[in-house]
Amino acid sequence: MTKRLAVASTALVLLVPLAACGADPGPAADPAAEEEPGYLAVADTSLEGTGTLRVHLDYDTAEAAGLDPRSADVARSWSLMGLSYDTLVEVGPDFEFLPSLAESWRTPDPTTYVFTLRDDAVFSNGRPMTARDVRRSLEHLLESESTWAAQLGPVESVEETGEHEVTVRLEHPHTAFLGALANTPAGILPMEEVDGGSVDLTAEMVGTGPYVATEHIQDESWTFEVNEHYWGEPPAVERLEISIVADEFNRAAALRDGSADFAYFNNIDTLDQLEAEPAARVVFQENTDFYYLILNSANPGSPLADDRVRFAVNAAVDRNQLSELALGGHARPTGVAPATLPDACPAGELPSALLDDDEIAEILEEAGVTEVELSLVTFNSETAPGQIAQVVQQQLAGHGLSVDIDIVDDASFGAALYSGSTATDDMGVSWYAGYGDASMVSRWWNTDTAAFTADFMVGDPAVNDLVVQAGRTPRGPEREAVIADLCAAVDERSEVVPLVTRPSVIGYRTDAVSPTLHSVEGYGDILRNITDFRLVSS
Amino acid sequence: MKDTATESTTRPRNPVRGALASFDALTLTCAGVLALLTLAAVAGPLAGVGGDPTAIVGPRLAPPSAEYPLGTDSLGRSLLPRVIEGVGTTLVVSAVAVLCTAVISTAGGIVAGYHGGAVNGVVMRIGDVLYAFPAIILAILVASVVGPGRTAALVSIVLVTVPLMTRMVGAAARLVCVRDYVTAARISGVSAPRIMVRHVLTNVSGTVAVQTTYALSVAILVEGGLSFLGYGVQLPASSLGLLIQEGTVYMVKAPWALLAPSVILVLAIVAINVIGDSLRDRFEPRKARSL
Repeated sequence: MTKRLAVASTALVLLVPLAACGADPGPAADPAAEEEPGYLAVADTSLEGTGTLRVHLDYDTAEAAGLDPRSADVARSWSLMGLSYDTLVEVGPDFEFLPSLAESWRTPDPTTYVFTLRDDAVFSNGRPMTARDVRRSLEHLLESESTWAAQLGPVESVEETGEHEVTVRLEHPHTAFLGALANTPAGILPMEEVDGGSVDLTAEMVGTGPYVATEHIQDESWTFEVNEHYWGEPPAVERLEISIVADEFNRAAALRDGSADFAYFNNIDTLDQLEAEPAARVVFQENTDFYYLILNSANPGSPLADDRVRFAVNAAVDRNQLSELALGGHARPTGVAPATLPDACPAGELPSALLDDDEIAEILEEAGVTEVELSLVTFNSETAPGQIAQVVQQQLAGHGLSVDIDIVDDASFGAALYSGSTATDDMGVSWYAGYGDASMVSRWWNTDTAAFTADFMVGDPAVNDLVVQAGRTPRGPEREAVIADLCAAVDERSEVVPLVTRPSVIGYRTDAVSPTLHSVEGYGDILRNITDFRLVSS
Repeated sequence: MKDTATESTTRPRNPVRGALASFDALTLTCAGVLALLTLAAVAGPLAGVGGDPTAIVGPRLAPPSAEYPLGTDSLGRSLLPRVIEGVGTTLVVSAVAVLCTAVISTAGGIVAGYHGGAVNGVVMRIGDVLYAFPAIILAILVASVVGPGRTAALVSIVLVTVPLMTRMVGAAARLVCVRDYVTAARISGVSAPRIMVRHVLTNVSGTVAVQTTYALSVAILVEGGLSFLGYGVQLPASSLGLLIQEGTVYMVKAPWALLAPSVILVLAIVAINVIGDSLRDRFEPRKARSL
């Protein structure tokens, strides 16, 4: 390098960021504001464009699980498979249940659900859906023993009780039953063909939904075309070109330069990158998903094996500050019933939230823990868990607790906390999907059924009982009381501590698409209302 | 009037001043910049400049002010101590790696140059294989094997910088080994290790010094690149590459988060390269002569 070149390049590098300082992105609309109650965005029905929507997502369906919706256990699988598979019911903006393939249903008693099916639903292969398809689909899901089969609850029998009627009987009341039916793993399958062997569910998707997948390159792209047999109104989006783009910056760049019309982001600060692009709109969608802090009670050598220490650590965590710093103020402090669900228990009223600093110090002193070093592990495939870990580190430092953070890749994180043997790390940060009913996520606090938590959680029979009660008690004041007790019990045990909700960022180009988006999403399905989307031009 | 010319020839000369005077102003400025960065990295944390780099002290993404001279980051931490820590991490990782490179390359180059033939062929072909990989690809490969972190950065820097330095030292050693005094030493029965240390090493030290400075600038770049991509230094620690990566997210809203680590990275690399150029002018004047 010549010295002149050195001087010139230094000057250039000094000038470029200064130029960025001068950029004025101008005022931005409130990205969390609702256009209508329950909706972040409502499609402009005056737009008459039809054609292609280009969507960029962060990850694909899990390759190992194939395309069988029963074993779909991640949000993108639910979104993508949900384009082809319909469910009996669907979730509305306020988590009320709406008709889908079941045009109505009744519950003559708390353990019986009678579904009246649409008579015009047709699979993408042209065969009309029958009551047998519905019965066998539910049986097929229950036989799979997948995670979602457990969410469906204690199904005793599924019967065809009419040409277009199916009756499901439960062993005991299961309040989350409709919530479980509303997600893609409970999608209605072409069981005549599946049972006959002409359709392989792991390799193709033949559903009654609005789209048919015409091309899929694993971890790269999907192409969906409209299902010509779809029973609903023909969607304005006739073709969906979905690109799997792992890097957040690349998705933002695609939205900026117009090569993507609609994209999903994990990082809450993505808004800042798109502020200067007038055609881009970014909205924050709340989720029922929430971040949690594992306080390892299963390792007898850890200071956190002591109930008092765990409770003090829990009390030392300031959830409001976590939301403000790690998630830009767009997350809500939560208990075990997600703060964004109707049955939520206010985080500010949890037992740990009522302790002041002196009381926390007293508990730690009583437990003989004044200065201790704790290890915390989390993963780096998203920004927020690492940010949360660092804020927790600082909050605990204020109480004399030193935290050594290890931010690792997903595989190492899984090995640290879910290997099948007692975890040695004292703490961990991760998140749970919140689904559509408070009793669905709270199942993971029942150590009788959630075996995967055994590496870091001893459990408590009283908490397990409350989880079971919350699952069986019908919605209403009695259930609210049970959930409040459950929230308090989980908080006092402090084995897995719910922290704050996990917001999503959705970006779209207003010169290409006018979407309909719920303000709160329970199943991470950002394409939930795709049939309502409108395109600006053909 | 005093005869200053006479006086300067008669007064005992300060060797440090003399050495400094032989460098041009740009080189001295760059040396000053490098010294300043090193001083900040070493003394800053000891003196508590800017406070605790991990402490949350203010609002997120606050602009530079008297309270936060470089602003705050996305978690409300003052950027000044984080940048100082980042400079230290980057310089330490790079310096340790380059030290390893210097030892390996000097030993390998001298052995290859002294023995020549098959030994030279083997050493140079190993270097060629490593040299065939683009630096950042090699670094990512290493990180995926040993896992992201400082060790990955260190090993990557060594693997990236060893081939070129070994080749340059080997070439210099071959020139020295055909000199009469080396031949004379061989004929006199002096052992090979003694010849390599006593005669060859001392005569290739200039090349080693020049190449070490270039390797240091490459090392800082590789460390920065790896940390930027998430394979190098991991949070909550900080390095210049990691701070730049964090800063890019807030480039529009909080450009100061990107500005300070970027400028320091560029300054460090330019300073080291200018110093390297000057050392080359000093030790290998014929190569540096311009027309």
